[in-house]
Amino acid sequence: MLDNVLHAAILATTPILLAALGGLINRQAGIVNIGLEAMMLSGALAALIAAHVSGSWAVGLLAAAVAGLVSAAPLSILVTRFGANEIVAGLGLNVLIAGLIGYLLSDVYGVSGTLRLMPVPTLPRIDLPVIAGVPVLGAILSGKDVLTWAAWVLVPLTALLLTRTRIGLRLRACGSSPATANSVGLSVPNLRDGATLAAGALAGLGGAALSLGLVGLFSEGLSGGRGFIALAAFYFGRNRPWPTAFACILFGFFDAAQIRLQGGGLPPELVQVLPYAVVILALTLASWRRRRGPTSEP
Amino acid sequence: MNGAVPRALEDGLRLAMPFVAALLVGAVLLAITGRDPFSTYAELFNEALGGPSRIAATLTAATPLIFTGLATAIAFRAGVFNVGVEGSFYLGGLTAAWVGFAWIGLGGTLQMLAALGFGALVGGLWMLLPGWLRARLEVDEVVTTLMLNFIAIGIALWLVNGPLLAAGSANSATPMVVPEARLPRLMPPSTLNAGFLIGLAALVIYGVWLRLRVGGFENRLVGLNPRFARSVGISVSSVILLAIVLSGVIGGLGGATHALGVVGRFSEGFSPGYGFTGIAVALLGRNRPVGILIGALIFGALTSAGTTVQLFADIPLDLVQVLEGTVMMLAVVEAVRWVRRRRAVGAAAP
Repeated sequence: MLDNVLHAAILATTPILLAALGGLINRQAGIVNIGLEAMMLSGALAALIAAHVSGSWAVGLLAAAVAGLVSAAPLSILVTRFGANEIVAGLGLNVLIAGLIGYLLSDVYGVSGTLRLMPVPTLPRIDLPVIAGVPVLGAILSGKDVLTWAAWVLVPLTALLLTRTRIGLRLRACGSSPATANSVGLSVPNLRDGATLAAGALAGLGGAALSLGLVGLFSEGLSGGRGFIALAAFYFGRNRPWPTAFACILFGFFDAAQIRLQGGGLPPELVQVLPYAVVILALTLASWRRRRGPTSEP
Repeated sequence: MNGAVPRALEDGLRLAMPFVAALLVGAVLLAITGRDPFSTYAELFNEALGGPSRIAATLTAATPLIFTGLATAIAFRAGVFNVGVEGSFYLGGLTAAWVGFAWIGLGGTLQMLAALGFGALVGGLWMLLPGWLRARLEVDEVVTTLMLNFIAIGIALWLVNGPLLAAGSANSATPMVVPEARLPRLMPPSTLNAGFLIGLAALVIYGVWLRLRVGGFENRLVGLNPRFARSVGISVSSVILLAIVLSGVIGGLGGATHALGVVGRFSEGFSPGYGFTGIAVALLGRNRPVGILIGALIFGALTSAGTTVQLFADIPLDLVQVLEGTVMMLAVVEAVRWVRRRRAVGAAAP
């Protein structure tokens, strides 16, 4: 039972984690990305179609990253060059992409809502020979797909990128003090565009984890608010990679547990809202602590 | 230097630009998929405004957007970025539906009024938490109100699948509201109902409140310059709290009129994002009563026309979503100011 939940929770974490890492980089550069949901959705669809046509999951992943990046581009340009409000533009992008995808599904494939393509190569799972037999450890490490491994490798890499590299420091400068960044000759719009495009690519990969991870199908509700859960995760983690990853695990666990809790107590509709409630709580606590006394901002 | 006419012109341009751009995006999409954009748009226009019944459908579709647009504008005026009107709309609708089918003892009109009142009340109470958090603890209201939307939808879904599920109903819906509690129809057989008039009345009251009442002035001042407002003795936190709760009240009232006027109950998928479209409506209308009305009518026309065009002309309804999303993305683009700056730079040069 525990092993099953753990295994499912880790797999459920992957799409959220990928999108959250993207959103976190974006936020560090000074843009709140509300369009992650749209980027995940377009990544999921592109991955399915490309994997089906090419017969290769790797091509599917590449397509997902490109699709996420392309859908992030208009949002970024409108925000950085035309003074659009990031929240409204992000919400608009979600509506626009959902509309485009629905239009294409019914026009090109003649389906409404769900697209099944046969055959689709799903992401390969990596079984670890000895560890698989160990009770808890096996459930955590073995039988995970390549994207899950990639997502967890990206957590320390993102931390390194943001704190130890020149580009990371510049991105953070754009976020914490755009005027200063500008005055020392950095192009704030360019750097922010870069961060948003990276967020798009990562969210697109997160979408691929949904469409190619388990069954190999796409539906309009596939992302199911995970883009917003990712947003919740990096708000909860205060834009730092490890705390954000911890929040993702927590939300992934909710996700996996809610299927198993059905019939046993809590209604699933209420379990689903837990991540959102957790964020409000986290923001309140952070604000309360800030007002209680001076704290050292990391 | 700027007279009334140039400002009105500028407002008009500001309102029109995103729509023109969206129609261009839609035209490209239609052309790529082998359809004639011009005939499609002609069809859409005809379906939105061709004849009394079509106009009634457009007004019906505009009604929820009047409420959500107004609700958003009230908060915007006070400098509060409330994106949680969707949640108030959901809960207001659910509450009104519950009062409408359960409080049979009240009888007729009283039950209808109670349903509207409680819907508005619950919508307002829902905004108490983010309002208080923003006013007292300076917690970013964008995130809290956004998150509260999903919580409201989750709670509503749970109630409508469990405690409030209609007996013998497989899909998630409450029982039907009793006929006496439903809002009267204005132009039967169309579903245009008294909710539209309530919306118009709310817009008028809003306009008067902005101009005459001290509250409207304080509200605007806090939105424009909170530090100045505080220094002249206005309680900024109570103005903010009032604005966001009032925003929730209007959102809840919108949900209530939608439940009592159009749907006749609360069911899953009660709002296809009226709260979010309301943000675009408020921004396009620049928080002014007439602007909100025009914005709501345009989006209402798109929705009502899109529904019938999908039925008869085999054009996916999703086209409307594409147009709507594009308008939202461009709604706040400062293209007009950009053009003017260009012109100013050009004029300054000898």
